[in-house]
Amino acid sequence: MKSKLLTSVGLIAVSAVVLTGCSSGGGGGGSSAAASCTNEIVNKDAAQVTVWAWYPAFEAVVDNFNNTHDDVQVCWTNAGQGNDEYTKFSTSIESGSGAPDVIQLESEVLSSFSIRNALVDLTEFGANDIKDKFTPGSWEDASSGDAVYAIPVDGGPMGMLYRQDLFDAAGIAVPTTWEEFAVAAQQLKDAGTGGVLANFPTNGRAFNQALFAQAGSVPFTYDSAKPTDVGIEVNDQGAKDVLEYWDGLVKKDLVTTDDAFTADYNTSLVDGTYAVYLAAAWGPGYLQGLSDADPDAIWRAAPLPQWDAANPVQVNWGGSTFAVTEQAEDKANAAVVAKEIFGTDEAWKIGVEQSALFPSYVPMLESEYFANLEYPFFGGQQINKDVFLEAAAGYEGATFSPFQNYAYDQLTEELYSMVQGEQDGSQALDDLQETLTKYATDQGFKVN
Amino acid sequence: MALTTTSPRTAPPQPSVSRKVGVDKIDRKRQRWGWLFVGPFALVFLGFLIVPLAYAFWMSLQTSTLAAGTQFTWFANYGKAFTDPIFLEGLGRVGRFAIVMIPAQMLVALAAAMVLDNLTTVLSKFSRLMIFVPYAVPGVIGALMWGFLYSPRFGPGSDIFSLFGLDAPSFLSQDNIFGALVNIVTWQWSGYYMIIIYAALRGVDSSVYEAARLDGANSWQIALRVKLPMISSSMVMVLIFSLIGTLQFFTEPQVLRAVAQGAIPVSYTPNMYAYSLAFSYSQFNYASAISFSLGIVVFIGSYLFLFLTRKQNGLK
Amino acid sequence: MAILVPQSDEAVTRTTDRERRRKDQQRSGGRKIGSHIFLLILVIYFLTPLWWLIVASTKDTAGLFGGSGGPLWFDGEFHLFDNIVGLFTQQDGIYWRWLGNSFLYAFAGGIGATVLAVLAGYGFAKYRFRGRSAFFSLLLGSVMVPMTALVIPTFVLMSSLGIVNTMWAVILPSLLSPFGVYLMRVSTQDAVPDELLDAARVDGAGELRTFFQVALPLLRPAIVTVLLVSIVATWNNFFLPLAVLSDPNLLPVTVGLNNWQALSNAGAGGEQVWNLIVTGAFISIIPLIISFLALQKYWQGGLSLGALK
Repeated sequence: MKSKLLTSVGLIAVSAVVLTGCSSGGGGGGSSAAASCTNEIVNKDAAQVTVWAWYPAFEAVVDNFNNTHDDVQVCWTNAGQGNDEYTKFSTSIESGSGAPDVIQLESEVLSSFSIRNALVDLTEFGANDIKDKFTPGSWEDASSGDAVYAIPVDGGPMGMLYRQDLFDAAGIAVPTTWEEFAVAAQQLKDAGTGGVLANFPTNGRAFNQALFAQAGSVPFTYDSAKPTDVGIEVNDQGAKDVLEYWDGLVKKDLVTTDDAFTADYNTSLVDGTYAVYLAAAWGPGYLQGLSDADPDAIWRAAPLPQWDAANPVQVNWGGSTFAVTEQAEDKANAAVVAKEIFGTDEAWKIGVEQSALFPSYVPMLESEYFANLEYPFFGGQQINKDVFLEAAAGYEGATFSPFQNYAYDQLTEELYSMVQGEQDGSQALDDLQETLTKYATDQGFKVN
Repeated sequence: MALTTTSPRTAPPQPSVSRKVGVDKIDRKRQRWGWLFVGPFALVFLGFLIVPLAYAFWMSLQTSTLAAGTQFTWFANYGKAFTDPIFLEGLGRVGRFAIVMIPAQMLVALAAAMVLDNLTTVLSKFSRLMIFVPYAVPGVIGALMWGFLYSPRFGPGSDIFSLFGLDAPSFLSQDNIFGALVNIVTWQWSGYYMIIIYAALRGVDSSVYEAARLDGANSWQIALRVKLPMISSSMVMVLIFSLIGTLQFFTEPQVLRAVAQGAIPVSYTPNMYAYSLAFSYSQFNYASAISFSLGIVVFIGSYLFLFLTRKQNGLK
Repeated sequence: MAILVPQSDEAVTRTTDRERRRKDQQRSGGRKIGSHIFLLILVIYFLTPLWWLIVASTKDTAGLFGGSGGPLWFDGEFHLFDNIVGLFTQQDGIYWRWLGNSFLYAFAGGIGATVLAVLAGYGFAKYRFRGRSAFFSLLLGSVMVPMTALVIPTFVLMSSLGIVNTMWAVILPSLLSPFGVYLMRVSTQDAVPDELLDAARVDGAGELRTFFQVALPLLRPAIVTVLLVSIVATWNNFFLPLAVLSDPNLLPVTVGLNNWQALSNAGAGGEQVWNLIVTGAFISIIPLIISFLALQKYWQGGLSLGALK
């Protein structure tokens, strides 16, 4: 019995090793992150630059770069998405090793890493030479004062995606202001279909912040040239007005407060529970990817409702960049990768068509191809021309705090307690102001 | 450790000193073997527990702020931890979990084990296995599954509750999340504790039950007055493990957060707080202090519990 | 607690006994049904989520979110094999690599931990060396250390050794099993009598030979239990691999599925793989469940030793 057991245990162990060794991909168990790339290296003699990125269909972009650059090759891994990747990056910064040469970072977390001296200022590597290839808003997000910490890749100018069929059924006109939006919400509820006009997620994070920004809220001021100074005003009038508005809708049951980015939320998006999806430009790709879409649904895109129709304000939700890390041994080549991997028309063809990204890269953005692109999901509507190009052009950039993750977590908690009825929007923001100011002071910042 | 000597009775009396020396020499040689056997484990223990722990402790004695650098601040972090309302709230919460979750698991485990001890049918054997099986499911996968099951849309909640003519509650709301988590852990761990208790019960001599029955005890009395005291040491061991695990509650709320971000804030339990401090906010020093502070509480709690049950736990 | 009935009253006792036994049987008939119903309820409670998992594995993503049979029953279509094929094609079949990794880490870590635990348990049980009780208390106390305290320092340590993001980063820390040492110590004290060891020593056997030839065979059931416990612990390990591994090819199946869940929640262009997550989760728990069923004798026996002492 014992020998039989041991034999079977041994067999399983051996087969495990074989299984692991025979699977696809490069040699696992190598001694460093650079040894194992998800993609194929074309030119084995060239210098290799390690890249962490989670863009969909990114391998094609990597191959495109490797095939067109003889002296530099990209070795790419998907080290996780968003916070998962940031966790690993943060750990590697703390321990002094393990970071990639180039890393995908959303613009909102750039100052959180630049303050830990983890990112290279790319102005020394010719960043400003390509500044005009990117939209001013996205360049602003990737810079801090005179320093440029990353090269923009994609952006998230905001618009409104809505269900034309549900609107028609309830006799609702497409709202162009928030006032009209509230009226439409009431109309939809009265129509009694069981759905709501939209969802107000308390975990919206950058989404919530963008809505505040549209009313003129500027929550943070920060310049990496003076890294210990930070300005915090999250409870300014703009934010309070916006929150009061949404709290009103929540209290009248005109919007739901489901968490965003869960399976429930995704299904509500496609089955008509929400008639409107206030979306960033990557929203269409997101919608299309959701399965079990109602074949009778008719989606269209329209500009985001405005507070003042005469003075429209464009806002942005999300958007990512490529930064070069301080741990990169060959910073020059790493900078080349950061600048050029999404710096060509070919790369962006893939980005637009396969990854559904919205370019900050001006040559693609201003191309006829992109403006006239018809989206079958939207019944052939040219949503870029109609909505997102203008939103992108009007966006001027935003400033994020060097502790943005913490700020967003606290915002989520305050918003949650607001929709639970524990406090009103004004109170929630005042609490947030207090919490963030205390945190910043504890962290040694001089708060203005 | 008796030494079997074969010295004949006619042997001259040995001076006691030299015999003691002889014994000592053998003992010392044995000691070396003791360390040799324990050695490999001790090496790993040193390398992957003591050294990291010492480093973590050293980290907790420093404060590193985002703006300023790192400074040695001795026990300032610990003072901050024990007056940190978030940490204290988390402690209170795991305390409440302990008060609810441990009895829940124990009741299920105990009741199941007692019932199984009386039966030998096929169903009982099958039940024993099926109750144990959830232990085989990794905590992460279990939480993932329950995340689905609790979903108002995809879970069977509405189906099951409508069988009884009720509306399914929203499991992931702020009010219900406590019960939802208690349920997940009970489901996952009761079987494991049941097996331990059942095995202990099997080890009890059944003649004791016979005698009790002759005295006129019914099965309830036998269960409570005879069986329970006889397995008290296993119960204590099971309770201690459960207590330590509950105070360090992390995996299930962390995974469930993905579907309940409002109801489960990042600092829901002290361990989660330490995790987000370290990995989301890059405050590694304070995170270490929080972890150690939690460890101190667990330590005190465990020893207090062992002290209170010193008559039952069978430990010296 | 027993009171022996004096012999002279035997005749009276026997009648009373028969009555009592009859009453017992009547009562126990009802009680037995009650017990079985109780067990049935428990079984339903414990099995329903697993049943859900099995049913869900036969659906595709659309069926998961709006199947005809509801969550607990099959819908019209049977997609289990499609899902399994999907597991082979998604990201070049990385799922099977994850499964292989889990096996590798669990067995390497589990076997390694068992070897160390057997040796250490024997050392603690049979040798009175200086510092023994101090070390053992330290060992028991180590169970109370929250894992979050250890992750960063372990990462830094392994980073300086150059093994972070390799399989050793997961296997080496898994060699630590204080519970295994405790179990082995208790079992060794129980199953290996000192006299046997002394007899072997007197016969001239060295310490090592004594260990291998005398003690080890007696410890077989305990060794299997510790092996199983260690393998399960390493298989279920989530936090450590999450922190130290960034190469997706090295992930164990727990972290891999969690990654897919994060991807599916974020929902970017066609990366919703709920059907694969569910089927993947189902397949991943099969090996452990099979080992449980096959080796339940050892589970019970071994865990009881720990319990009784």
